[in-house]
Amino acid sequence: MAFEKALWFIKRGYLLQMSYKFDFFLRMFFMLFNILTYYFIAKMMGDAAAKYLEPYGGDYFSFVLIGMAFSGYLMISLRSFSESVRDEQMMGTLEAMMVTPTSTSSIIALSSLWSFIFASFRVFLYLVIGIFLGVDMTHANVLGALIILILTIICFSSIGILSASFIMVFKRGDPINMLLMGSSELFGGVLFPIEVFPGWLQNISHILPITYSVSGMRHAILQGYTLGSLAPDILTLALFSIILLPLSLFVFDRSVLKVKAEGGLVQY
Amino acid sequence: MDRGFLDVIRNSRKRNVLTTLSGVNLKVKEGEVLGLLGPNGAGKSTLIKILCTLILPTFGEAYVNGYNVVKEGQQARSSIGFITTDERSFYWRLSGRENLQFFATLHNMPPSQVKARVEELLDVVHLKNRADEPFLNYSAGMKQRMAIARGLLNDPKVLFMDEPTRSLDPGAAKSLRDFIKDHIVTERGKTVLISTHQLDEAEQLCDTIAILDEGRIKVQGSPGELKKSLSESSTLGEVFSFYTGKSFEEENASQVPFAIPRQRKRGRGFGNMKRKGY
Repeated sequence: MAFEKALWFIKRGYLLQMSYKFDFFLRMFFMLFNILTYYFIAKMMGDAAAKYLEPYGGDYFSFVLIGMAFSGYLMISLRSFSESVRDEQMMGTLEAMMVTPTSTSSIIALSSLWSFIFASFRVFLYLVIGIFLGVDMTHANVLGALIILILTIICFSSIGILSASFIMVFKRGDPINMLLMGSSELFGGVLFPIEVFPGWLQNISHILPITYSVSGMRHAILQGYTLGSLAPDILTLALFSIILLPLSLFVFDRSVLKVKAEGGLVQY
Repeated sequence: MDRGFLDVIRNSRKRNVLTTLSGVNLKVKEGEVLGLLGPNGAGKSTLIKILCTLILPTFGEAYVNGYNVVKEGQQARSSIGFITTDERSFYWRLSGRENLQFFATLHNMPPSQVKARVEELLDVVHLKNRADEPFLNYSAGMKQRMAIARGLLNDPKVLFMDEPTRSLDPGAAKSLRDFIKDHIVTERGKTVLISTHQLDEAEQLCDTIAILDEGRIKVQGSPGELKKSLSESSTLGEVFSFYTGKSFEEENASQVPFAIPRQRKRGRGFGNMKRKGY
């Protein structure tokens, strides 16, 4: 039954997305703008940053393309769960779903499914456009990249579920989202290598899951690292997932009970 | 223990911190229609939401179809249908058919059954010809019929209706009442709990009426019994005023498009009546 439900949530997401066609094409169009901006920045930089980019293959455009593509998962994970709670509250559909036998956690998880598929579609487009612009992915370790991707999604989703718990209880002002969104872009090595930072600032990078996610992805896709070489990134992401997933599910369950007791489930 | 299809049992002197419910003891038998009447803020919607497992009670117990709404929430939800007046509770950009198919899947209905069930219900609510139009094109009456179709998707034994005719014009409201009476109550024999601000609706549909005020059931009985309890010629509006101390018309004026004309009748020996302490 879970599969049928997942299919219907995807279909619902697709139909709603396609009912706003202009929004869809506008997003795609500006994604292309974004890629081209960094393409020309990389062209201007040439070999100037080669010292920092050496561990990632030496090319800034390849570096930043992977960073932008996969950091999208973090953004989606952080936002999609809390946004799906809020959207369903605002649309008025949450209550109607909650009186069905489908559990609250399933409803929230399945409601975010379309966002992840859409994010994957964007990542795919990033990579395809990247190939056309000269990014070399011929040595990619696909299995390694897939393992990192799955761990990335689990890890980021856990943070997203924590964020949704805050939104459910406090409605606005989610500190997890604000803190991680800002710090990950700056310290996560998305747009530039963390080696640029002085040592004490790099410590911040090392406690952020995104650092291991984008670093592992670059090593797997651009340099074709073996699973053994990818092990440090994979194991760190796995450790984050093992801690964060049960914690987030526990916090979410407690939040649902709290708002149900307060009658605030459908308030926003 | 002899349980009705729907039991709300008070077992504490504490008041529910959420709103006002504290003195609610109700038992509804299978196939019975219970109407909840009460002024704004009396706790009607809260009571319905507790029974639908949307709100957790801070004390007391409630059973729906034999299931404890706190401990057996999933089983309770499997056996109920909830019909809300909130037309926003549908996806406006999806068609009526798509909306029903989506909610049918959430009721754990296998795909092989979803199509047939949705077609059957679209037929029942006379929306088959418009089923592929976006929900946003529907009139208020059609939206409410869709809400009824959704409430019946899992063929529930107990149906909760929270002011089902609130946003409808008098003609559409009458048509919906007839539909509820003929198709849901008479034909399908559902147990129904309906909250309403319409006295004629309560009289037409309900076997039993419970007047709820400040979180307490003030009186409960058939419409005829309630009226007779005051005097032979009493109206339900007078019963409402007697037990709540509020004029039904004043309470209702802001709720319905057409307010009921004031027809206060005083001096009917209300003083002889004893308020029922539930």
